[in-house]
Amino acid sequence: MFEDHEIISTIEMVKNENLDVRAVTLGVNLFDCISHDLAVFKKNVRKKILGHAAELVETCDLVGEKYGIEVVNKRISISPIALVGASFNADQMVEIAHELNDIAKTVNIDFIGGFSALVEKGIARGDAALIKALPRALTETQRVCASVNVATTRAGINMDAVYEMSKAIKKAADMTADDDGLACAKLCVFSNIPQDMPFMAGAYLGVGVSDAVINVGVSGPGVVKRAIERNLADKHLTLGGIAEIIKRTACKVTRVGELIGREVADSLGIQFGVVDLSLAPTPTVGDSIGEIFQALGLSHIGVPGSTAALAMLNDAVKKGGAFASSHVGGLSGAFIPVSEDLNIANAAHRGYLSIEKLEALTSVCSVGLDMVPVPGDITVQTLAGIIADEMAIGMVNAKTTATRIIPVPGKKAGEKVFFGGLLGEARIMAVPHADLTDEFVTYGGRIPAPIHSLKN
Amino acid sequence: MNKLIITVLAKDRPGIIAQVTTDLFDLSCNLENANQMILQDQFAGFFIVEAPAGLAPETIEKRLKKKSGKNGLTIHVHRLDTQTPGEGEGLAEDIFLITTIGPDQKGLVARFSSIMAAFNANIVNLKAVFKGGTDPNANVMSYQVAVTENVDVKSMFAALREKAVELDLDIRIQHKNIFDAINKI
Repeated sequence: MFEDHEIISTIEMVKNENLDVRAVTLGVNLFDCISHDLAVFKKNVRKKILGHAAELVETCDLVGEKYGIEVVNKRISISPIALVGASFNADQMVEIAHELNDIAKTVNIDFIGGFSALVEKGIARGDAALIKALPRALTETQRVCASVNVATTRAGINMDAVYEMSKAIKKAADMTADDDGLACAKLCVFSNIPQDMPFMAGAYLGVGVSDAVINVGVSGPGVVKRAIERNLADKHLTLGGIAEIIKRTACKVTRVGELIGREVADSLGIQFGVVDLSLAPTPTVGDSIGEIFQALGLSHIGVPGSTAALAMLNDAVKKGGAFASSHVGGLSGAFIPVSEDLNIANAAHRGYLSIEKLEALTSVCSVGLDMVPVPGDITVQTLAGIIADEMAIGMVNAKTTATRIIPVPGKKAGEKVFFGGLLGEARIMAVPHADLTDEFVTYGGRIPAPIHSLKN
Repeated sequence: MNKLIITVLAKDRPGIIAQVTTDLFDLSCNLENANQMILQDQFAGFFIVEAPAGLAPETIEKRLKKKSGKNGLTIHVHRLDTQTPGEGEGLAEDIFLITTIGPDQKGLVARFSSIMAAFNANIVNLKAVFKGGTDPNANVMSYQVAVTENVDVKSMFAALREKAVELDLDIRIQHKNIFDAINKI
C-alpha cells in the first residue's frame, strides 16, 4: 500500500516535472557481420539488426504505457563501423551509412549511432575511410549519428585526428549550409568515449560486449529543479542539504530507468546493460539544466559560481545513480548542450555564458562543448584548437569530454540558428580570435598521455 | 475452524481498539488479523479471529454488544467462508494504480468502479478525497486494482480513460512497480 503523498509525488514527476525515459538504446554487435564484400556486409548488418530490433519500438511503447512513463526515443547503437567495415573505402562507407539510415527507418527509430571510429593512438585504414566519408554520410542521411574518439587518458591525444576532424566538421557544415550546418549536430568528437552510452549523438556499442544489449538513458532536470524548489522554504537549508536532495531525487529517477530498461530487455529476451542517469535537457520550459542553476540561486548559468554549482550537481547525480543501480554506465551526470536547452541558449545570447566559461564548466560536468553553434568563418585551425582544448580536459581529468560544435555557414555571432526538434535553436556564440591560423594544431602527432602519479 | 470477521464502527476516540480486543480476549478469541481506518472522524475496524469451537457468531455479537455497544460502537460478527475459492484466486495478478485528479461530482466512484467491475478487475484498495478547490491533493481518487490474465486490460484502460475525458478528470494508470521503484528504497 502507498501513502497519498507517494502516489501524488510520483504522478507529479511524470505530469508536471517532465520525468521520462529519454532513450532506450538497443546495442547490436556487428562483428559477426564482417565481410570483404559490401553487398554481403550490408545484408548481414540488416539481418542482424532487424533480428533484434523488429519489436523494439512496440515493446518500449507497451512498457511505457504500463508504467505511465513515456519512452521518448528508441534508438540503436552498433559496433564502430570503422572496425567492422575496415576493409571498405570512403565511398563504400557512405553506402553503409545509407543502409543504416534505411534500417533505422524500417524499425522506426529516430537515430542509429555507431558510424564511429576509435583513433586515439592512430588512424587505421578503415578509420581514415570513415572520417573521409563523414561529411557526405551525415549530409545524405538523416538518422545516422557519428562519433570519433581522438583521445584517452591512457593514450593521449591524437592531434592528427583532431585536425582531420576539424576539417570534416567544416566540410559537413558547408554541405548542409541550407540547414545551418545540421550534419554537425550528428557528429561528436570524444575523449574517453564510454562504450555503453544510450544517448545520441555519441552512442556506439563498444567491443567486449554480447550480441545485443539494452541500455537506458533517463533524464529529469525538471524533477531535480522542483525538488530543490520545494525545499527552499527550509531556512536551515545549506548547499550540503541541497546536494542531498539532488542525490535522493537522482536515485529515484534512476530506479525508474532501471525498472523500465529491465522490463524492455526481458520482453525482448535481450541482456540488460546499464542505466545512464544524465540530466539531459530539452527545449521545453521546465525541462532545463539552466533552470536548475536558477533554482540554486544563480541569476544565469555562466555567472561566477556556475562551475561550483555544476560540480555539485554532477557529483550528486552520480552518487544518487550509483546508489540506485549496480549497473550505472554511460555518462551519468549533467549535460549542458547550448541549443537543446532554452535557458542555456538564452544565457549565452544575453552574454552571461561565453564559450570560455562553457569550456570551464565542461571540466566538471558530463560531456563537453555540446551543440554549440559558432560562426561559419571560424578557421580549421581555431576549431581544431577548441577541440584539442576540450580533449585535454577529458584526458587529464580521466573523464569523458566531447565536442559537438556547429560552424554555421554564412552566419556570424549573435545570429539565430534553428535545428528543430530536440536539437533546438540558439544564437551563434562568439568565438574570440576565430580567424587565427595558428600552427600548433598542424604539427600533428600525439600529445602524450598524462602522468598518473604526482597528482596536484 | 470457527473463523469470524468482526466489524466495528464508531465515532473515533481513544480506547476503541483496546476495548474491542479486551472483550475478544475475554471470550477466548484468538486475533489473527486486524486493520483499521479513519474516514473524517469515523473509526472503522476489522478483526479476523479464531473463536472457540461451538461458540456461534450470534452469541459473540450479542456478548460484544452487551459489553461495548453501550459505548456507541456498532458491531457486526460474521462467519468467514474459508472453503469456496474466490473468483480468479490462484491466478497471477498484476496491480495497477489508477488515479484521477479533478473536480468533485456526484457518482465518480460509482462510475469508475462500475467499469472495473464490468471487466472483472478487483479493487484491492481505494482512497478517495473530495474537498473541492484546486489543490490536486484535495480531489483525488486512487484505486489499486488487481488484474489477472483473464482481464482485458487494454479495453478496460481505454474505457477508464474515455470516462475520465468525459468527466474532465486527469487520469493516470500506472503499474504498481513504478511506485515501488520510486518510493520504496
